Amino acid sequence: MQTETTPAQADVSELDLVKRCQAGDSEAFDQLVTRYRTRVFAMIYNMVHNEQDAWDLAQDSFVKAWKSIGRFRGKSSFYTWIYRIVMNVTIDWLRKRQIKAGGAEFDDSIQLKEIEPASKTVPKADPLPHQRMERGEIRARIDKAIAQLSPEHRAVILMKEIEEMQYHEIAESLGCSIGTVMSRLFYARKKLQNTLRDVYENV
Amino acid sequence: MKTFEEKWTAWLDGRLSGRELIEFESSLPDLAAAEAEKHDAHKLGAFLKKELGAQALSNEEFFSHQLRERIARETDDRSNSGGIRSTWWTIPRLVWSGATALALFFICAVAIMRQHQPGEQSEYLTQILKSQVDPVANPNATISIFESKNDNKVTVLWTEGLQTLPADYAAK
Repeated sequence: MQTETTPAQADVSELDLVKRCQAGDSEAFDQLVTRYRTRVFAMIYNMVHNEQDAWDLAQDSFVKAWKSIGRFRGKSSFYTWIYRIVMNVTIDWLRKRQIKAGGAEFDDSIQLKEIEPASKTVPKADPLPHQRMERGEIRARIDKAIAQLSPEHRAVILMKEIEEMQYHEIAESLGCSIGTVMSRLFYARKKLQNTLRDVYENV
Repeated sequence: MKTFEEKWTAWLDGRLSGRELIEFESSLPDLAAAEAEKHDAHKLGAFLKKELGAQALSNEEFFSHQLRERIARETDDRSNSGGIRSTWWTIPRLVWSGATALALFFICAVAIMRQHQPGEQSEYLTQILKSQVDPVANPNATISIFESKNDNKVTVLWTEGLQTLPADYAAK
């Protein structure tokens, strides 16, 4: 998993930063946040499809991580640990919202924002209006398809396909067995293949 | 690996090898169709990675700034409430609170015990009068009175070791 680090930051090992955090050094925590904020935000955004909600949930996740960093024993990597917090916060939020919405799997109220396609590591080129529209439509189809998955299935497919995490890392992040991860991945893929086939076949 | 779903996923992600791979592929009814679906799943993965992988956090520095402020505020709140608690819960206060709680406990215990007197086990309130009636004539005489607790007000007088009745009892 790649992280956003400057060469100077890369010198400082993650474990050192965690130890400093555990001693109450908020600056060390700030460095950890810098390393993971974009990935955490993107992961949450892909699950909730709303920028403001993703921002708030990412903030909540980091605050929770800061409060409980004393309990981090280093048995897993820090990113697996933080992803576990992120997943708990996001899945809880999605479940609560699903209950409020009367148990509907797909919420039409989700606002499909215009997505900035380029990350800061990719040279930016403004797309033409028709390209932007096309991208927006594709993104809307993907968001709609993902929103039809349960929060757990969403988490598994995004961690595997976007984050390229290993089965055991996903299992640790979600607090379930590797078998469960593989099974969820099977169903999530099948569902997305059925709903998105016409889109990715034609792109 | 047990279920078909698990084996399929492992096969699709290239995690099956050797005998396991041969066994799984030979168990598939149509290997060509399975290969096509595998290819399709890989296409889906690449498509998702391309479309969703570039989501950027629009204002990273503001995000960190807001987080720092929130953590500082929550840390302050916690230390403030901790400070108030530590000045309020002084040792004399703790001692007094403990003593008051103990006293309250005993008062409640006594009140409850009084309400649940063993008298409920018998219908009668027994009162043994260890009075001796004419100690010369009846040296070992005892009188017991059993009284009904209900409205009947029945009273039973039980005497033991009485050899002679006092003269004035006969008159009453």
